[in-house]
Amino acid sequence: MTAQMKLGAFLWATGHHIAAWRHPKAHVTAGIDIDHYIQLARTAEAAKFDMIFCEDAAGLREANVEIASQTSRSIGFEPISLLSALAAQTSRIGLVSTASTSYNEPYGLARTFLSLDHLSGGRAGWNLVTSASPIEAANFGATGLKPHADRYERAREFAEVVTGLWRGKASGHDGQSFSVRDPLDLPRSPQGAPVMVQAGASDVGRNLAARTADVVFTAAQTFEEAKAFYDDLKGRMAAYGREPDDIKIMPGVSPVVAETEAEAREKHEELQALIPDDVGVALLSSYLSISDLGRYPIDGPLPELPESEGMKSRQALVVEQSRRDGLSIRQLARHFAGARGHWRIVGTAAQVADELQARFEGGAADGFNVMPAYFPGELDAFATLVVPELQRRGLFRRDYEGRTLRDHLGLKRPA
Amino acid sequence: MDNGATMHLAVSLFAGTADPSPELEFSHLAGLVQKAEAAGLDMVLLADSAPAAGGDTPNQQMPFEATTLLAALATVTSKIGLVAAASTIAHQPYNLARRFASLDIISHGRAGWSATMAQSPREAANFSRPEGFSDADFRRRTEEYIGIVRGLWQGWDADALLFDKSGGRFHNPEKMHTLDHKGEFFSVRGPLNVARSPQDTPVLVLSGLSVSDLDIAVRTADVILLDDEPNEGAKASYDDLKRRILACGREPDAVKVLTNIAPGTAGKLAAFADGLAEKFQSESCDGFNVQLPTQRSALDAFADLVVPELRRLGLFRENYRGTTLRSHLGPAGGGEQ
Repeated sequence: MTAQMKLGAFLWATGHHIAAWRHPKAHVTAGIDIDHYIQLARTAEAAKFDMIFCEDAAGLREANVEIASQTSRSIGFEPISLLSALAAQTSRIGLVSTASTSYNEPYGLARTFLSLDHLSGGRAGWNLVTSASPIEAANFGATGLKPHADRYERAREFAEVVTGLWRGKASGHDGQSFSVRDPLDLPRSPQGAPVMVQAGASDVGRNLAARTADVVFTAAQTFEEAKAFYDDLKGRMAAYGREPDDIKIMPGVSPVVAETEAEAREKHEELQALIPDDVGVALLSSYLSISDLGRYPIDGPLPELPESEGMKSRQALVVEQSRRDGLSIRQLARHFAGARGHWRIVGTAAQVADELQARFEGGAADGFNVMPAYFPGELDAFATLVVPELQRRGLFRRDYEGRTLRDHLGLKRPA
Repeated sequence: MDNGATMHLAVSLFAGTADPSPELEFSHLAGLVQKAEAAGLDMVLLADSAPAAGGDTPNQQMPFEATTLLAALATVTSKIGLVAAASTIAHQPYNLARRFASLDIISHGRAGWSATMAQSPREAANFSRPEGFSDADFRRRTEEYIGIVRGLWQGWDADALLFDKSGGRFHNPEKMHTLDHKGEFFSVRGPLNVARSPQDTPVLVLSGLSVSDLDIAVRTADVILLDDEPNEGAKASYDDLKRRILACGREPDAVKVLTNIAPGTAGKLAAFADGLAEKFQSESCDGFNVQLPTQRSALDAFADLVVPELRRLGLFRENYRGTTLRSHLGPAGGGEQ
């Protein structure tokens, strides 16, 4: 347990709320405006965030063109080019991009992230994901979704090759999925190696994280869920010869914060009211990996679901929540559309800080990946209201400890 | 030839330089590219190093991969074109098309992709293809690949984004088009999840052409790089290319043919300017890709001595005509539609 929490600023499109782009104060052209992103990065850096984080998908997020056209998520910057641009316009903040093991090769990915690491003076990180989306698969000649276990076996080998290359491994690799002959043609990273991040929460995903991750992002609604995940993952690490502190677990949190609780609630309601029903239901369907949720009465309960090869952990989260709170499809859709299954806090800076402090000090989190509802407003609000409150309580840094992402996170430099 | 008969000038940084460079920090490279922009050059070409032939010692000339470097350079420049080499072996076509589409928006329409038609024999072995491709397979694959990338770049119409907050319509779904490519080597549905480029599409620069690559080059390229050869040969190659460009239904001017050239020592720069002038006036190219080592002195000498001399001779424009790479290159190419 470290004395201070770690914070990530998760930048995404016009905001993490599905209707963010419709908010009067949201910057609607975010997906084509690099200056907007430079400003966000500088805001996060001025607030001493550990890192900026970008998600990634090699394809559209929504197959239904009618639904897709009512959201802002069909266009945006490709994250590695985006973060490389931000590297030149920032000096301290970490830069973490998601990239899939399903549609890349380890040599190319290792080289690209190492280049970002050099451009930024040792501030790069890679969030390893496997791809489950058939929309992505169709852009890579794949004929259907690979079973969960296969995707993870490929990911395990992929991570092994990448970390080997980053550590200057000189001899070749010849494995099940990949073969690589040469070492990388770039010098060693300024921070030893880029930081490894993971988000998979399934059993096989947790083992991969326990073996290779420096940081784990996760979704947890309740304290108990967060705590159970935290203890489980830290408990798996000894088997791989690692200390519990070698991984920072950072659940996602989507705060809506204002000077007063009433204002915060009003802001949240305003966002919720902007979600069209069909968009909410479509989003919920994609999280549940089922295509026909629209068939069921929107004010009725969630139907029984078949187990899918998609996102197992997230599906379980949604089902559990719907049963626990007795939510209708519409209520569930709005709830999930808002924070995408992540934890949401609506309130004042003190209320938000109380909640974060309880999870941090209760051993359920090493920090948080902050998912502002809309940009730039909610990132500004977190930076100007919540961060100073956390600093006053001694829970967050007032200045950077060092220059590299590993310095900020308090991670060992790899051998 | 261009209106006003002025040449196009590109500089290639770190192309095959064997001199160990003392400083390859990003700030040093940024200074070089800013200098090239101050000199009004059309574009900078960023080579992408591959493991040195022989492979036992890593080539540590360049700590950067070209597309990531391009993104960073885009934020510290505003006019000059930025062209990155990226290999068709190292990237899946969807990923490469997406990276460059994003770079083009980051740079406000100044990005280009430099693709080579020549297979690097060592490269495939690092991408799980130890046997590589036969020449014929590699050519067909590259042709298919370029077609996919160019198609993906046109997946979103320029006026697709509506940003209509009150109406709830972010984009017009009828202005987003799938590619639905199914070919011998790739199958790609599309579209990209990146908006249309401010300059229509990123600029396509092709090099490493053998005779059998000329037809695909004239159909698709915006810029073709040719190695320097004695005058007679250069003129014949140039005329042949322009004929082929016309034959495939494009304006001869839509494709710029640049000659790769490396200056000698700084002492010979006056003569170097005369040499460029002579080649250009004999109509054997549309301009030059000047291959420089990464030492600042080499670029300074070229920008401060050679470029002004070419301007004095009326062979190079005084100022940028616009802010996109296509505007520097003149008549919009764009290849076959």
